[in-house]
Amino acid sequence: MNDKILNTLKELRAYALQRKAEVSISIHAEDSHLMRFANSAISLNTNEMLIRLEITAFEGRRRAGYEMITDLEDMAKLKQGVDHAVEMAHLAQPLTYEPSIPVYTTDFLDESGYDAALANLANAERLDFFNQVSKGLETNELKLSGIISNGTNTLAMINTRSEHWQYFLFTDCQVTSVLAHSTLKWEVSAEQSAQKKSELKPSAMHDRLEKLVDLYQKGKPEQLPLGNYDIVFGSAAIGAWLEYIVYIGLDGGEMKRGNTFLLEKDLGQKKFSSRFTLLDNPTRLETFPFRRDFTGIERKLFPIVENGVFKSFVWGQDDADEFAANPTGHTVMHLSLEVKTGQKPVNSLDELLAMPRDKDILYIPYIHYIGLVNPTEGILTGSSRFGALLLKKDGTVAIPYNVRVTESLLTLFGEGIEWLSSVSEPYNVSRSYGARNPTSIIVPRFMRVNNLEISHSNSSY
Amino acid sequence: MLDQIKQEIDRLKSRGATYADARWYPAEDSEQLVMVNGNLKANESSNQSGIGIRVLYKGAWGFSAASDVNNLPAIFDSAFDNAKIAAERVTFPVRLAEKEALQATFTSPSKEDPTKVPLSEKVAFLSDMDHKLDQPGVIQRYGILNFDKKKTIFVDSEGSQIEKNITEVFAFLQVSALDKAGVMQSRTFRLNRTGLTRGWESIDPVFFTQQCERIVSELNQLLVAGDCPKEIGSVILKPGQMYLQTHETIGHALELDRILGYELAFAGGSFVTLDDFGKLRYGSEKLTVRADATVPNSPGSFGFDDDGIPAQNNLLIDKGILVGAINGRQMVEEANAKARRPIFQGSSGANRATAFYRVPIERMTNIDIDAGHDGTLDDIVRNTENGIVLDGDRSWSIGSNREQFHFGTEMGWLVKDGKITDVVKNSTYQGDTLKFWNSLTAVGDESTWEVVYVSNCGKGQPNQVMQLGHGIPVCRFDNVRIGE
Ligand SMILES: [Zn+2]
Repeated sequence: MNDKILNTLKELRAYALQRKAEVSISIHAEDSHLMRFANSAISLNTNEMLIRLEITAFEGRRRAGYEMITDLEDMAKLKQGVDHAVEMAHLAQPLTYEPSIPVYTTDFLDESGYDAALANLANAERLDFFNQVSKGLETNELKLSGIISNGTNTLAMINTRSEHWQYFLFTDCQVTSVLAHSTLKWEVSAEQSAQKKSELKPSAMHDRLEKLVDLYQKGKPEQLPLGNYDIVFGSAAIGAWLEYIVYIGLDGGEMKRGNTFLLEKDLGQKKFSSRFTLLDNPTRLETFPFRRDFTGIERKLFPIVENGVFKSFVWGQDDADEFAANPTGHTVMHLSLEVKTGQKPVNSLDELLAMPRDKDILYIPYIHYIGLVNPTEGILTGSSRFGALLLKKDGTVAIPYNVRVTESLLTLFGEGIEWLSSVSEPYNVSRSYGARNPTSIIVPRFMRVNNLEISHSNSSY
Repeated sequence: MLDQIKQEIDRLKSRGATYADARWYPAEDSEQLVMVNGNLKANESSNQSGIGIRVLYKGAWGFSAASDVNNLPAIFDSAFDNAKIAAERVTFPVRLAEKEALQATFTSPSKEDPTKVPLSEKVAFLSDMDHKLDQPGVIQRYGILNFDKKKTIFVDSEGSQIEKNITEVFAFLQVSALDKAGVMQSRTFRLNRTGLTRGWESIDPVFFTQQCERIVSELNQLLVAGDCPKEIGSVILKPGQMYLQTHETIGHALELDRILGYELAFAGGSFVTLDDFGKLRYGSEKLTVRADATVPNSPGSFGFDDDGIPAQNNLLIDKGILVGAINGRQMVEEANAKARRPIFQGSSGANRATAFYRVPIERMTNIDIDAGHDGTLDDIVRNTENGIVLDGDRSWSIGSNREQFHFGTEMGWLVKDGKITDVVKNSTYQGDTLKFWNSLTAVGDESTWEVVYVSNCGKGQPNQVMQLGHGIPVCRFDNVRIGE
């Protein structure tokens, strides 16, 4: 535990109490490292040490937030931050509801997601990892791209309602590798998510890339006719669609505002395939979980969809306050989603290729750039990328140019699901636009969905 | 501080760095106010300070940034160590195009500092707008104000020292309601360029009130509208959609780092190759596109980029032919060397970072389309047999090489035999980039040309959000797949 962080929080709390202010205070410290590859070289090697102090001040129904990206040395400056937040709250327009201030009843420390070996991963180890991933695969035409991004997150919080605090420390790593043909423009990829160093397996990424490169070099490329296809999605594609289930489906406040495709009347109803079960599972360290939410609620296994039946929205504290709902322990930076596996013993690219097939099957490992065509109907659109394959009925494999899928999430996870793999893996969906917020979704390695529409088909790579 | 930064740059040079620069942000203040249905859901401000160091060693980049600047030598050393390991895997050693070392300052045009306006006044404005949006038919109301004010100081080992003081104002209003089919329909207003300065003065209550009335009225038209038909026809894009068409299928496609394969791990590549410059027919003869960072008052005009290159106005597409790209010092050298011909004459000044803790990469400035000679929007409609006028971005999805796209818009107006007939909802269109731009058959005149601001363009790893602009006229494209 970092005493400086905790002591800073305590001192700022004491300062707020002394000036009779109601505040909650958090510190987010990130130590981020990212080695980026392009054109088979390291195109960027970066690290960032950032400390964010966030202060939320309350004055009855008035509320304000002030964030400082700063250092923790200058206590006078940090106290001015508290003053600033308090003044802003005073000038705010009152909310139509009373915002809750959490009361932590015990101290809570969770460092179970921290792996010192990953936190201290050296530059040379990052490079070595990538050298292993790409060993023997790069040529004059096949160029390596990718990232290995690892970091340590510390998040600590306290407020004026009690002396207790919460402290989370965890490590994460996201690896993406791409081999792209510099003139033909086809691309194949392999990815990995890790919470500890021992989970990093360069050989698995290497083998996948090698297999896909072989298929792409031998296979005949073709433009697929528009129409309906049976599609096997890989873990990246499944993860991408799932992010949108969260974004436009599950949030209770957004449901009340009319922005979700799942409605209150859908609770308890069968909305998806009976093969589809979705949980929020904070026991899975691979998801970089918060085992308590930021209001102090203990986070437990939380069913969202069970055998196709929609079980619950998730409610953060603020929307729960506004709509008089019960918070569900989801005032967190990210959920810990897990899709239950199925029965199909198809868990690797080799097994997928060897699977007997009674018709042509389209394999789409990855969906690029999803657009929300119609959020209230759950309709999305996105293009295939990174190694799609057409597994033909006659046992051969062709290479489809990228295609566009435009479908509703209710269809993608609906009755058309033929099977799910029997093995799952964490798929890392992290973005780094703001504070480091590593997020992984545990998904079956493959999911076959029948009769989906291809709405556009490229005529070249 | 500045002297210490210069000393550190000299120290890295003496250790073998071929180039080093520092971007020091003494202060960046931002403010965001979000009102949803009368509730001030976000009342937030932030202050950030720190430094980002970029070092070139044996042809490879190292970067390091920290918000704690109490130990500057450690941050410089970290950047240097990062470069040293990167130098172990170099395929094309980084070279930087020649430039003049400048001592300069830039201040964006702003009359009234938005960070000095009392919070109560800003909240009162949002509350006033919220009341104006609270009309029959409307069930959801959003009002957002964003202000950003930053001072940045750039120093490099070539002798440049550039101070920038930039103020940004973004505003957003939206009304939504469920139609009879239970589908949420929305109409949105985003503050674009309304004058030659961008401070609190651009939050003009009279103008905003007019926009409130317009979007409420248009939402109510949408609620009783039929669905966009499925057909092949002409699309006439108003600036509220034309900006995004330009952004996604010209802007991103012409970023030189994408063309050279530097974004293949994430954002994607481009269908454009180095061979294409000077000969590819990108669009019809009516299409002339420029990257113009000298447009007065736009987030895409920033004085100097983060390589220290002054703002420029460069042609990208000249009467339909591809002639230029969005680039910075590193990429032009690499492109010219790989093409074995001097395609680019030095950097065009488009290398920018979103924060002190991110590294500069090729970003759009103002990617503008020259106004044409096909008259006003009314004139273009009058000369259209069968098609649809579209406005308001609602959804967008683009192929990874920017070769094809699918867009959804908030609002459509059907055109039959030169007249607008009906309003339609759930409008979409899709196409192949080159085919689409080559089907450009009408470009509106100056009366249709607007500068639209973009506050949230995403790119790069670590990810960066960037602000920029698009000056575009109304345009018509023929034979487009609509409504799927
Ligand atoms: Zn963009």
